Amino acid sequence: MNKELEHKFVTELQDNQNIVHKVCTLYTNDRDSHNDLFQEITIQLWKAYPKFRGEAKFSTWMYRVALNTAITLYRKNKRRIDTADYESIIFKIKADEYDETEELQLKLMYKAVKQLNDVDKALVFLYLEDKNYTEISETLGITEVNARVKMNRIKTKLRTILNP
Amino acid sequence: MTDELELLKKDWQKKEFNVPKLSYEDIHKMIWKKSSSIVKWILIISILEFTLPHLLYLLPSMREGMEIYDKIGVSKYLLIISVFTYAVAFYFIFQFYKRFKEISVLDNSKNLMKKIIKTRKTVKHYVIFSLSMIMVTIIIMIIGVYLNDNIISAFPELKGSLENISQEKLKITVMLSIGIFGVILTLLMGVIYFLLYGLLLRKLKKNYSELRHLAV
Repeated sequence: MNKELEHKFVTELQDNQNIVHKVCTLYTNDRDSHNDLFQEITIQLWKAYPKFRGEAKFSTWMYRVALNTAITLYRKNKRRIDTADYESIIFKIKADEYDETEELQLKLMYKAVKQLNDVDKALVFLYLEDKNYTEISETLGITEVNARVKMNRIKTKLRTILNP
Repeated sequence: MTDELELLKKDWQKKEFNVPKLSYEDIHKMIWKKSSSIVKWILIISILEFTLPHLLYLLPSMREGMEIYDKIGVSKYLLIISVFTYAVAFYFIFQFYKRFKEISVLDNSKNLMKKIIKTRKTVKHYVIFSLSMIMVTIIIMIIGVYLNDNIISAFPELKGSLENISQEKLKITVMLSIGIFGVILTLLMGVIYFLLYGLLLRKLKKNYSELRHLAV
């Protein structure tokens, strides 16, 4: 592949890397796995890049590849390191920006989301990224109605996790 | 809950995650790394499954083993079987290639999973077919031994020690050994295969059924 394409790709990914980091944060529990998944997503994005013809925004196109890699192609690392430390680093919430109750609430919410299964996480991720139900259903390959129903069920699930 | 999720959404969107930002060089290095996706593993394992059993015939000891077929008098039938096996194997390889090519990371999640499972199914059918062919070969050998009137001549090197054993007894012993060897070989290959894929695709299958149940 030519140098120009390579340069364009790396620049675009560098600018949009936050999306990939967010996916990695949701789906992995320690820094090594995070980097591992990031690398696999990058490889998949690069392999698919020649087919990306700019019909959509680069970032929109990234969501699909990144999520597909996380929930389908990526083989989870067997190592499970205790994750409490990692999460408190990743989700460090700046105290001065929030009042205390809100901060605690957010922390618990992040924890609860991390406990969801892979597919539920994908829905929540797209929801948090402000995708509408049409986009969510197209990305996952389910109907819009099902996406809505599923999202409601996830909300119930989260409620149960937070108030056992 | 909706309020809390909205709160999370706001926080999520302005959040710069507390991970080191990757530089241009970091990312550039990554794009040339080798993928370790399950699609790649399926390809590697499948190629091994398609080729390994055939490579066995290249071993000298295996070729000597083939002479025994001649002696038992079944080589004609086994030749027909192996021609048939190769023809079917090529059909499976073609099917596998076609389905493998259809796998695209740009598909929606459900389709992607469906296609991977379909590709694996091709290999699964191939393995079941190969295992049955091993069994058929074993059965033909057993029948060959049964119909052979001079079984001792098939084992010239053992001639001295076999003289005291009756033809009937020897036949049964040979038939039993071939049978037991065949069953163990088939079971072993079957177990290795299903363990390998079971572990490889466990996560994918779970997620696929999660998405599929949604559609009901």
